[in-house]
Amino acid sequence: MKAISGLLLVISLLVAAPAMGQQAAPSFAGRTVTLVVGYNPGGGYDQIARIIARYLPKYLPGNPTVVVQNMPGANSITAANHVYGARPDGLTLGAFNRNLILGQLVKVPAIRFDMSKFAWIGSPATETTILAIRADLPYRTPADLVSAREALVVGATGPGASTYDFPLLLKALAKFNLRIISGYPSSGDIMLAIERKEVDGRAGSYSSIKPFIDRGLVRAVVRSRASVAAIAQLPTDESLVSDARAKAVMNLRAVPEQLGRPYLLPPGTPAAIVRAYWDAFTKITQDREFLAEAERAGFEIEYTRGDEAQKIVQSVLNSPPDVVKIFQQFFSFN
Amino acid sequence: MIDALLQALVEVLRWDALSFMLIGIALGFWVGLLPGLGGGTTLALMLPFVYRMEPVQAFAFLLGMHAVVATTGDITSILFGIPGEGTTAATILDGYAMSKKGQAGRALGASLMSSLVGAIVGALALLAAIPVVRPLVLAFGSPELFMLAILGIAFIATLSARGGRGMLRGFLAGCLGLFFAAVGPDPQSGHLRYTLGTLYLWEGLDLVPVLVGFFAIPEIIDLAVRGTAIAGRAHVGPLGGVLEGVKDTFRHFWLTIRCSLIGAYIGVIPGLGGGVAQWIAYAHSTQSAKTPREREGFGQGDVRGVLGPGAANNSKEGGALIPTVAFGVPGSSAMAILLGGFLLVGLTPGPEMLTRHLDVTLSMVWTIVLANIITVAASLAFLNQLARLTAVRGSILIPFLVVLTFLGSYTNNNNLGDIVVMLTFGALGYAMVRFRWPRAPLVLGLVLGNIAERYLWISVARYGAAWLTRPIVLLLLALAAGVVVSALLQLRRGEKPVEAEAVGAG
Repeated sequence: MKAISGLLLVISLLVAAPAMGQQAAPSFAGRTVTLVVGYNPGGGYDQIARIIARYLPKYLPGNPTVVVQNMPGANSITAANHVYGARPDGLTLGAFNRNLILGQLVKVPAIRFDMSKFAWIGSPATETTILAIRADLPYRTPADLVSAREALVVGATGPGASTYDFPLLLKALAKFNLRIISGYPSSGDIMLAIERKEVDGRAGSYSSIKPFIDRGLVRAVVRSRASVAAIAQLPTDESLVSDARAKAVMNLRAVPEQLGRPYLLPPGTPAAIVRAYWDAFTKITQDREFLAEAERAGFEIEYTRGDEAQKIVQSVLNSPPDVVKIFQQFFSFN
Repeated sequence: MIDALLQALVEVLRWDALSFMLIGIALGFWVGLLPGLGGGTTLALMLPFVYRMEPVQAFAFLLGMHAVVATTGDITSILFGIPGEGTTAATILDGYAMSKKGQAGRALGASLMSSLVGAIVGALALLAAIPVVRPLVLAFGSPELFMLAILGIAFIATLSARGGRGMLRGFLAGCLGLFFAAVGPDPQSGHLRYTLGTLYLWEGLDLVPVLVGFFAIPEIIDLAVRGTAIAGRAHVGPLGGVLEGVKDTFRHFWLTIRCSLIGAYIGVIPGLGGGVAQWIAYAHSTQSAKTPREREGFGQGDVRGVLGPGAANNSKEGGALIPTVAFGVPGSSAMAILLGGFLLVGLTPGPEMLTRHLDVTLSMVWTIVLANIITVAASLAFLNQLARLTAVRGSILIPFLVVLTFLGSYTNNNNLGDIVVMLTFGALGYAMVRFRWPRAPLVLGLVLGNIAERYLWISVARYGAAWLTRPIVLLLLALAAGVVVSALLQLRRGEKPVEAEAVGAG
């Protein structure tokens, strides 16, 4: 399957060599668009990419064939490096790790791209992070967690993941009494550790924790900036700190969640093609069938268009150095 | 319960569910045969097709496909010495050795029959676990997982060559495996180790290219050097070979059952991963040797070395379904993807799957059993033809095997690094075979190193030293000690220590 998609990529590059960018109204008729995903099949990034790949042909002018190519490696840096150097003809687009922007901010050496130079299609979905604790614990509010006599044990995967970074900032900046234990292979394994009371809670995406909230195992205490209606009344992490710099650091961590599933075209893609993708993504994220599928798969669909996304990216990269310096102490990209 | 079981059977046998299952089986059949194309990946690729299916149809399709992958993966392992799946590498050690002796038919018969027994035991385990699933899974915390990894590593003693020197080599190979497991981000803080400045190694060594290179390359070189067919000049067994293998399963029935249970149990515990069960089962099979001479037969084509992993890599699927269904926590990477399937068809895994949606859970039990019965029956029909492939001249087979090896490694990540890893481990594997170092301990170290490191850290960080006194930890520690001692006793039992002969090295 993958070999075939690789082959299709080669063929599409050969066939489509004459750039279609010059035309005013691009048409993808008879072309093959390759959607490069920075992860292996099976994860969230792959899953939503495969759903989008099925709707793109319907909404792109000329109804092209769209194939998904998985290019895992280095938290999708490999794939992003690849798409950054691809021909900007609209036939190659990428779906990468949302944290790449923070990776660039803290200057990960392997990154050979500039996130602000990609032609942004935008992000079709947000990711809301919450901290949830076991429902049998006496704590209910953030204040309870600050004054908790014994440290709450929070299970985490590792740095660079919301399971780790979110509680870390709560502990360091909002003075939550937490003990973070990292090293769990996946958020599912942390959930199991909660069941057997090895840990008291965990942070993670709302969509992945929701079934366990519904079941009464855990309750949500704090959320990050991006939100969905069901948990809008929860206090945000930023509301729990008064210092402006602390707020800014928390905001930096949360930015990628607003752009939860970034879709990018190579730098220099002609504006007409970028606009065609904006229109297609706008229509896809309003398609009822698409919405139903995405909801069942647990995605929070909310399209942030490329121009808006690019502004957010620019503001992150322009963060004041003192904020970046504090942020760097907490964040590592891996 | 009986009612629910029968009702679930009726649902699975409905024409629509059954036809989806047959499609799934047909797919899984090929996925298993082809090295590199893994069951988990294929599940992910098939996920979009289940949107419009009913739960029973969706699981008949997905699980039907997944249930047979390990069964047919064994076929490639046995015939060509190339692991058809990452989970069927252990079958190579004795399975391919049997092929070289002209007993491919017998090995295939044994692996298929033991796979079937394993699948049934796994399904029964799933069934039996339904009432006790919570305590069963929750009893295993991080300390227990760490000790399980230690128990697994202790089996290196069993998998090593005989004699003091053999033990030493096995131990060193195991250490090398642990070292390779350390490549990539450390599980706790994500610091990168031994990545040689490449992006490719950021996520550690991928097991598939490692196993494909490590086992297939030495055999391909060997085949080229010998210049004969795989089965050499040995007469490729008469048509009864397959039947003989089937009979072997029942000759060593208790061993098959024990290895099935080992597989199911390892499957139940999330966090151990699918690659582990086959090696522990293989190690346990070698323990059944009563004399040193018998022990030396392992790796040279002892049918018990096929039966153990054959049974375990199938039974673990039934086991792995248990935490997936009951907690929504996947027992293996394939199960993680299956979990996505649950949500797509509108089911929330959790305790409700054992009460309100019991019929769906039971339909899974039936799917595993039926899919394996169908596969084994279909395979038996042409196994003898397959076995004849081992009589084909090597020079004709080799180009085909080389392509399979390269493709199998490359399809995993679409990265040239896969090829480099495959060739590197191919060279290492060849050197180890050549100089009679056992390969199995290295693989055991590789698959368990990360688990051991991860859970040791969590245990200490969470409990200090107190975890050492937990009852199951002590029990597992005693078992691990028992494994090492019994291996040493087996060594002593021989009249005089036989000079180091690589066994289990294939």
